[in-house]
Amino acid sequence: MGDREEISKQFLGTFEFQGIKRRDFLKFCGATAALLGLSESFIPKIAAAIEKASKRPPVVWLNFASDSGCTEALIKATYPNAADLVLDILSVDYNETIMAAAGKQAEEILQNSKKAGDYILIVEGGVPTKKGHGMIAGKEMLDILKEFSGPAVAILAVGSCATFGGVPAAKPNPSQIIGVTEALKKVGVKKAVVNLDLCPVNVEYLVAVVVNYLLLGKLPELDSFGRPKMFYGQTIHENCERRANFDAGRFVETFGSNEEALGYCLYKMGCKGPMTYSACPKVMYNDRISWCVKSGGPCIGCAEHGWPDKFAGFYERLPDVKLPGIQATADKIGAVAGVATAVGIAAHAIATKSSGRGKGEKEGGNK
Amino acid sequence: MANELKYEWSLALRAEHWVRVIAIAALVFTGFYIHWPFISGSAESAVMSWMKFFHSVAAYALVLGLVVRVYLAFNSAFDRDWKDFSITKNLKDLPDMLAYYLFVNDTHKDYRKYNPLQAFAYLLIAVLIIFTTFTGAALYKGNAFGFINAQESFRWVNAMLGGESYTRIWHFLSMWVFIIFLGAHMYMGLIWSVVHKDKTFSSIFTGYKLKKKF
Repeated sequence: MGDREEISKQFLGTFEFQGIKRRDFLKFCGATAALLGLSESFIPKIAAAIEKASKRPPVVWLNFASDSGCTEALIKATYPNAADLVLDILSVDYNETIMAAAGKQAEEILQNSKKAGDYILIVEGGVPTKKGHGMIAGKEMLDILKEFSGPAVAILAVGSCATFGGVPAAKPNPSQIIGVTEALKKVGVKKAVVNLDLCPVNVEYLVAVVVNYLLLGKLPELDSFGRPKMFYGQTIHENCERRANFDAGRFVETFGSNEEALGYCLYKMGCKGPMTYSACPKVMYNDRISWCVKSGGPCIGCAEHGWPDKFAGFYERLPDVKLPGIQATADKIGAVAGVATAVGIAAHAIATKSSGRGKGEKEGGNK
Repeated sequence: MANELKYEWSLALRAEHWVRVIAIAALVFTGFYIHWPFISGSAESAVMSWMKFFHSVAAYALVLGLVVRVYLAFNSAFDRDWKDFSITKNLKDLPDMLAYYLFVNDTHKDYRKYNPLQAFAYLLIAVLIIFTTFTGAALYKGNAFGFINAQESFRWVNAMLGGESYTRIWHFLSMWVFIIFLGAHMYMGLIWSVVHKDKTFSSIFTGYKLKKKF
């Protein structure tokens, strides 16, 4: 493959110092190539791109209305893996949750990054649009976003909060939280946003998009929701490891049952896999150890626009219908309409009989 | 004034009607299964796969049946009846028919083939078939007719209805309209046959109906 020449000893040295073998690093590059849909020949190029990136470009990571779950997902690996380190060497200049600096010092770093420009802006969390509902260092989050989206070379919204509002934007949403794309539209910034929707973001998606950018100098192809098509092109259902059991008609009926352990389908437990687009079954979480459905939990649809409102309740087959004024499930509506029809028909039948229409035709009667 | 047998439904019309009946029955049954799988399978059974297979095949039959019916309405050698579905004409006649149905009047005007309520109901079914087709296609992950990438081509339906979970609900609710229509339709056919003794019910099998002779 020729990787020996292309990856400098010094670079691999820093990896080995942190407990990552050269072999592991190449394995990671291979996995990233596969994720990006690139051939094996790209592995050394990916390694070279990452190596180049170890000198720059900086990343500014902004935290807005969220539970910092995406940051957690990023740093809580059981052991430092290659993906983490790639983000490390990307020089994350500013991340409120994990940075050592605080106060004036932190603000200074942020301002310096802005002056230097050409950074990758990663946004975690929704943007409150109601005045005074989300402020950092005396500034509105909306204004902070506007300020730092300008000089950024690429904007990545990670996690369902940053993409479309997610949990903080769920009804009744008192802070009027919106996603980054919508927020940028509101403040008049015209820039493409890569939406990496999931709760929390899959670190491998994030790294792959960054590597894609380093390698090709452009953002991946996006779908109508601004999500990279390569990760959000197919439903979870299509690639699910429990899919064979769906087709066979083998379903889990209760949680904690033997069927669940046997890998039967979670459809009846409210799995939203058939309407959720993400590569979760292939990429999984935490270094490909497991993911929701593998662990026996139905998909709750966190990769989708309108989650969680449009996907609740999580353990029910169909979400509640929210008609104006009333809230009833689709089944109930069906039952009520069915009873109404039966009553109507019975009433008509009785009326026909009592009116005497059933007693043969009068001359001149129709039909 | 005697009555005479009149050929009301051509073979094509009757065939389309029964294809539609079978398709709707299959769609409702398999649809209920897909909504809530009430039969458990074994490793080799592929129950759900078959249910989905028949659901799709029946859907094709329903859609193509409608295409044939619309074609016949405009271009049938037997009876071009598209004018019978005119909304303005039927709206004008609606009070007359309602008064008869609600036992206000004892007679109603003579209508060619469909009375205004019938015309509206059948028009609604046509619209409903189109609606379920579009919502169904939006939920479909394959290539409709082998060449239309359903997921790509019908994404706008999902966007319009507010996401795939909502498309699912609308698709499901529209099935109930079919079921309600079916109840009313069969009741009307039956009671008309019983009350007026004009062979309405059997006409959809034989094609012949008793009509007043003028």
